[in-house]
Amino acid sequence: MTARHVGPLLEIKGIKTHFFTQDGVVKAVDDVTFEIGHGQTLGVVGESGCGKSITSLSVMRLIERPGKIVAGEIRLNGENLLDKTDADMRDIRGDQVSMIFQEPMTSLNPVFTCGDQIAEAVQQHTAVSRREAMDRAVEMLRVVGIPDPKRRAAEHPHQLSGGMRQRVMIAMALSTDPDLLIADEPTTALDVTIQAQILEVMRDLREKNRMAIMLITHDLGVVAEMADEVVVMYAGKVVERADVRTVFGSPHHPYTQGLLLSIPRLDERRERLEVIKGTVPSPLNLPEGCLFKRRCPHRMRVCDTAPPYQEVGSGHFSRCWLTPAGEAPDVGADAEGEEAQHAAEQLTVGAR
Amino acid sequence: MNDEGQTMTPTGATPGGDGVPQPGDEMSGGRTSAERAADRGGSAAAPLLEVDNLVKHFDIRGGLLGVSKLGAVRAVDGVSFSVTEGETLGLVGESGCGKTTLGKVILRLLPPTAGKVNFEGKSLFDLSSRELKAARRDIQVVFQDPYASLNPRMSVGEIVGEGLYVHGMTNKKERESAVRDLLKRVGLNQAHIHRYPHEFSGGQRQRIGIARALALRPRFIVCDEPVSALDVSIQSQVLNLLSDLQDEFQLTYLFIAHNLAVVKHLSTRVGVMYLGKLVELSDADELYRSPAHPYTKALLSAIPVPDPTVRRERIVLKGDLPSPANPPSGCRFHTRCPMAQEICKVEEPPLRDVGGGHLSACHFAEEVTPLGSERTSAQSA
Repeated sequence: MTARHVGPLLEIKGIKTHFFTQDGVVKAVDDVTFEIGHGQTLGVVGESGCGKSITSLSVMRLIERPGKIVAGEIRLNGENLLDKTDADMRDIRGDQVSMIFQEPMTSLNPVFTCGDQIAEAVQQHTAVSRREAMDRAVEMLRVVGIPDPKRRAAEHPHQLSGGMRQRVMIAMALSTDPDLLIADEPTTALDVTIQAQILEVMRDLREKNRMAIMLITHDLGVVAEMADEVVVMYAGKVVERADVRTVFGSPHHPYTQGLLLSIPRLDERRERLEVIKGTVPSPLNLPEGCLFKRRCPHRMRVCDTAPPYQEVGSGHFSRCWLTPAGEAPDVGADAEGEEAQHAAEQLTVGAR
Repeated sequence: MNDEGQTMTPTGATPGGDGVPQPGDEMSGGRTSAERAADRGGSAAAPLLEVDNLVKHFDIRGGLLGVSKLGAVRAVDGVSFSVTEGETLGLVGESGCGKTTLGKVILRLLPPTAGKVNFEGKSLFDLSSRELKAARRDIQVVFQDPYASLNPRMSVGEIVGEGLYVHGMTNKKERESAVRDLLKRVGLNQAHIHRYPHEFSGGQRQRIGIARALALRPRFIVCDEPVSALDVSIQSQVLNLLSDLQDEFQLTYLFIAHNLAVVKHLSTRVGVMYLGKLVELSDADELYRSPAHPYTKALLSAIPVPDPTVRRERIVLKGDLPSPANPPSGCRFHTRCPMAQEICKVEEPPLRDVGGGHLSACHFAEEVTPLGSERTSAQSA
């Protein structure tokens, strides 16, 4: 597809990131697989604790104790990041992959000016003089739409508004022209009109730089507007994955369906909202079999066995026992034990 | 705890009466639903809550001793509206627009700078401390952050029952059964009465906060961002609970939120605030269908639609919210308004009726067009 590497830009294969806490092992990310192509935007959706942020931190290799990536591969441009030394990773971070976080105030250093912080990132990755790096910083601030960038570059983070700070973060992340931008809830802390500005900046830069974005968010509206492909996560697992129109138009997994029905909409009036009953299970006490079964309206006995990860349509994957048409599986709604396990293996996509 | 179809003492049944519940009717709202309905029926029904030109400024002090006044943050700057019994008035706006301050002044958690708030025709700011205590039974609040608004050292029973105790239900047994009933009504397990807040999830905590607000059988509840801290699947549970409780107890809500979709779902009428001013107020559906203020329109257009096949007109506002300590002259929105003219810089537009009770504070309200949107073909990708 591009000069550097044939195949997807980022390939995540079966990664497991577990946290070894005093109370037990929390499987924050449990066997997650997906790819992002060059210039593609992947939306990662899910509620608090579903593992979406840990997935992104795993890609950046920023998991700290008691967490550990215990299995899997993370290939960026074909190279496995899990084999890299810490020094190599420092070069990759910011150069090939950049990340922006939800709360820009806590990710900027309060004692340095915005210009200094961007220039530092530039100097870290390219052999330029301080002055050139500063010029680049001012230029980047201009690109992300900050008025009077020269003056702003000399200001400290506390002198800027929330939207401006997020622009500074984006400017910093993009100053080294990365192939992949990981944006973890980039607009959640912002007001809607400011969110619209930031999303516009991201869309703009994505097209100009042909940059891929991994967009982590709980806001389905943001995903619908930005993403090409969507991954829905629940309790550490990918439960559904498809292109954006399929996920919103004909979702297969009951969790995705429930999420879409439970949000109040501006464009239609609903007397009552559909509800996903119950709450997300505790990561220390996950149910046997399907993790969503206790909240699922289609629960069957077979759900006590871990469901298959089926391809229910072209490029559309779902971790559920229901057939693509939404009916009970061939093995029977009451199947259990080895029979059910075998059926799950048969139905699971061969790609893995 | 009374059941549905309760017969209540007719105390305070007359509007404009003193409205102070008598001892012994702790758990009654004071009026039967039939009476309330009768009040609601005619368009001439007196509003339950009237806010008249309310102003709240926070002084900025400084100087050598920190006592000289340097200016003021004009958080709420002359807001008027009324809320009819049984309706939900939604209040939307971005951070810093003054919506939370407004709610706090109505609750008398903050003293007003000027203006009046009448509850059932009686000024809330002129009450003696005794009368205020009585009024607080009628006016309750649900806060945004269910982690910060529950005392971690009190059990659920103590949290929900505290108001009952303060207002005279000193019998422990009686109080406990009242609390159990409340927990049941908000969808919590009654057996959890002795647990502490940290043992609950965010959604459950918000239910505890709602049970606490309901304990004194209030008539009016200020909901300040009650679902914004919750996950999507939990939000809908709490929103449904709020609307069920409204039907069950004939509650009137002032629903403050920044999420326009959430506000639209629950509200009868919606007010939009910008920099301390109410810029638009109208029937909820009408507001979303044909906004009459460019700020409302921009706000609506900024909300991402959770449907990839819909492409909607998008108005991206320039710049940030100006500081409420130094608001722009004339119309406060003119610095960011795509429709601004010369007059907007000098003359402040009044909030006026642009037809059918739809209020807008814009010189050019009639020229605001509905938001365009189109559905792209389902399979173009």
